[in-house]
Amino acid sequence: MPYLLRRLGFFLLTLWAALTLNFFIPRFMPGDPVNALRDRTRGKVSEATLQQMLSSFGFKPNQNLGQQYLDYLGNMLSGHWGISIGQALGEPVTSIIGQALPWTLGLVGITTVLAFALGTLIGVVAGWKRGGRLDAILPPLFVVTSALPYFWVALLLILMFSVWTGGLLPSDFNYDTSLVPGLSPGFIGSVLQHAVLPAATLLITSIGGWILTMRNNMITTLAEDYVRMGRAKGLPARKVMYGYAARNAFLPNLSGFAMSLGFVISGAILIEYVFNYPGLGYLLYSAVQNVDYPLMQTLFMLFTVAVLVAVLICDLATAWLDPRVRAKE
Amino acid sequence: MTVLQGAAAVTPKPRRSVGRGLWRALRGNRKAMAGSVILLIFLVISAFPGLFTSVSDPNALAFPPRLGPSSGHLLGTTGLGQDVYSQLIYGTRQSLIIAVVAGFFATVLSVLIGVSAAYLGGVMDDLLSMLTNVALVIPAFPLIVILAKYAGHGSLTVLLVVLVVTGWAYGANQMRAQALSLRNRDFLESARVRGERRSYIIVFEVLPTMTSLIVANFLGAALYSVLSAAGLQFLGLGDPNSSSWGTMLYWAQNQQALQTGAPLWSIAPGLCVALLGVAFALMNYAFDEIGNPALRPVKAKERKVRAAVAAKAATAAAAGPPEAVVSQDIALQDAADADAPLLQVRGLTVEYATARGSSVAVAGVDLDVRRGEFLGVVGESGCGKSTLLFAIARLLSAPASTTSGSVTFKGSNLVAMTEKQLNVLRWRDYSVVMQSAMNALNPVRTIGAQFKDAIEAHADYGSEKIRERSVEVLQLVGIDPVHLKSYPHQLSGGMRQRAMIAMALLFTPDLVIMDEPTSALDVVAQRSLMVQIKELQQLLGFAVIFVTHDMSLVSRFSDRLVVMYAGQVVETGPTRTVFDTPSHPYSKGLLDAFPSIHGERVELKGIPGSPPDLGNPPSGCRFNPRCPVVQERCRSQEPELYQIGELGQVKARCLLLTPDNEPQESRSLEVNS
Repeated sequence: MPYLLRRLGFFLLTLWAALTLNFFIPRFMPGDPVNALRDRTRGKVSEATLQQMLSSFGFKPNQNLGQQYLDYLGNMLSGHWGISIGQALGEPVTSIIGQALPWTLGLVGITTVLAFALGTLIGVVAGWKRGGRLDAILPPLFVVTSALPYFWVALLLILMFSVWTGGLLPSDFNYDTSLVPGLSPGFIGSVLQHAVLPAATLLITSIGGWILTMRNNMITTLAEDYVRMGRAKGLPARKVMYGYAARNAFLPNLSGFAMSLGFVISGAILIEYVFNYPGLGYLLYSAVQNVDYPLMQTLFMLFTVAVLVAVLICDLATAWLDPRVRAKE
Repeated sequence: MTVLQGAAAVTPKPRRSVGRGLWRALRGNRKAMAGSVILLIFLVISAFPGLFTSVSDPNALAFPPRLGPSSGHLLGTTGLGQDVYSQLIYGTRQSLIIAVVAGFFATVLSVLIGVSAAYLGGVMDDLLSMLTNVALVIPAFPLIVILAKYAGHGSLTVLLVVLVVTGWAYGANQMRAQALSLRNRDFLESARVRGERRSYIIVFEVLPTMTSLIVANFLGAALYSVLSAAGLQFLGLGDPNSSSWGTMLYWAQNQQALQTGAPLWSIAPGLCVALLGVAFALMNYAFDEIGNPALRPVKAKERKVRAAVAAKAATAAAAGPPEAVVSQDIALQDAADADAPLLQVRGLTVEYATARGSSVAVAGVDLDVRRGEFLGVVGESGCGKSTLLFAIARLLSAPASTTSGSVTFKGSNLVAMTEKQLNVLRWRDYSVVMQSAMNALNPVRTIGAQFKDAIEAHADYGSEKIRERSVEVLQLVGIDPVHLKSYPHQLSGGMRQRAMIAMALLFTPDLVIMDEPTSALDVVAQRSLMVQIKELQQLLGFAVIFVTHDMSLVSRFSDRLVVMYAGQVVETGPTRTVFDTPSHPYSKGLLDAFPSIHGERVELKGIPGSPPDLGNPPSGCRFNPRCPVVQERCRSQEPELYQIGELGQVKARCLLLTPDNEPQESRSLEVNS
């Protein structure tokens, strides 16, 4: 229990650090975002609305910085994220994010978990069959794929499966806009079709890392006495491989998974941008393009929370799977 | 890494040897070489772009747009009318600068923060580690995107600063971990004792030994910087007028290069980014392999040796067919040859396949174990005793395998059996107890679960009976059954060892093979465990093969002794006889190396030197370089196992004990050194 409490403390500390960064970056950066906002909104909204926007954004020029900071923290944590000042001028940030979130969760979330699970499994087999033919090819191949830029793989896939093949697979947006969104088979099919290339990009670029780390962990674990002991006990090979070797080799991979989510997010931004896929990553890009501070701020916070939640889940899983972690006080 | 650390531990100033060792290791690694070649090509291009293209201003709109590849424009022209090839050439420099500069400063920051945290300790360590962990978790790329936007259309400097600020944390964590593990090493201790200042120690003693990690970290940071910078520029957050691959990608995407028939405009710079990234990644991975040799691919040469060894192993398996392959009527057979030994090992040979050829770790060992007998196997570390045990139990794994000989256990030859056939015998008929129970028990499963695994693999007990039996064996070794629910780390060293012995007795096998089961314990616990093993053996009647380097430990418990040296049996006989009147000079040396519990006080002597390299054993008698009574013929003539004494119970492998040699003379040999 103390272990989980400590991890929870870490969660809060990091969240606070991210929020604080968020608050101070616009204030200490060259150029005055408030004036920029005034310029952008001149003639479009009334002075009163502008004031309201600014205050929800955290800028209340007549208040001291401390008070502004506290208000800002309160707003962020309570979901008062303000209204967009970018393309969707005046629309609440919550509803913009609400529209984009499911797409990113569906595409990036599922693909990432899939890549992790698949990569781990391949890594287990490659490590188990160490020295085999598969093991001679896999490591160099995946060292290469894991170093490829996300956007370049995306461009290649578009070129191969969309441009050269006369639009075999769609490379733009998340569904065919001529269809009415709903639970019809046509719409679902279209959504899946549109997800193939972006998902493939993410899978190709992220699976290599999992295969390599799992293979290497597996090889290290296979040299352990308890694996040989499993064999000595006459257990079936499958049991030794999964219950004794992989079960232990997997533990360091779990914490690695949470840490790597930052990279997944950078991948999501670039991939969604290339495919014009209207998820959170694309939203961040367009928020940045349109200097939509409230949206940027909220997105950054959400990305941090996403990583932190993943870290927390992995901590829980580690505590569940590893009695030694539970025992550490 | 072993090479590096070894060098570091003995030499006071390890810098040069570290550098050289690293260089040699890198040169032998194909991934490292491939990475360096790519990097070198890019370096040359970035230094002398003028040599590779005749276009002097690659950004000038000097040509017709969207030309296909031709001799004039190798990769065609951009949608704006620039030569793609020359833009690539001129863009190399910026990508390399970003990689090297950002990688360098991020690494400096990692080292500073990581090493400081480790060496300052206390509150500073807590603070710095926390800072590192927070920085590690905050998603860097969105932050970079936002920072780049706020900072305006970023100059190169801004981009570099942002990359360094977001790229140091991963390395700092690793630096801290390694610096912590180095802290208590001997060579640092000695520097501290010499009274060196802390800063001196860190700069001249600690950092050199971390070279490998620091370089690997630089490569990782460089990779991260290349990819992040290209991504940023691709999104249009860099300077749109700069010459770089990322900027090319931005314009290509901006002008829909893929869709408008100029795919090379966007694919080619992407390929360059990928190649540079791959170069760093390959070198980085090569460093992992150098640090941990187990990860390296098996070299072609070694694979050949392995295949040869495997072929020999196959013949060995075919040579001795498993007589009565695990027949159901083992009991019948047992009755028939009640006098036959339980285990009969003949000419057992084990080879390790290495890149330099095969090395024979166990060379033609013969031994017998009768029912209920306690056989001690003694010898120094590295003489092949553990390998012998694992060969008998058929637990060797690549690169080691049994290449000839037979292991006849209860009438069937284990060497000829498949894993499936072996799994029938394992644990039911013979079980194994390993050196350190801490490592031999699965750390993430309870003792009870591990017992259950073993039972379920061999018997169809219900859960009630499984529990009953588990409780029974735990009580047999004097452990409270509540510990079935305990994990290995919750037990003391002695309890873990006894729990493992309990596990070995689940099916009351005929033979228990023990590999130094007491060596991890203190002397008192050792004794009580030995007594307990002996009692259990007498109670349950199983035979024991017991390996140890401590001759006095087995002297009171074993019936017979086998002394091993350099993969061979050098002496065997009844324990008392061997112990009181050792025949082989090596046995004498071993005895002199350990204090006797009873008997007068004598000066303890070690045996000078160490066991030979098994890949290249000395000619003649393998013990001759260390033997105190060596003669000229010992260097050329290989001794066999000769029978000693009238009863012929003792055999020893020493030329001085050949039948034609005067027995009296050899008996009276005194070890004088």
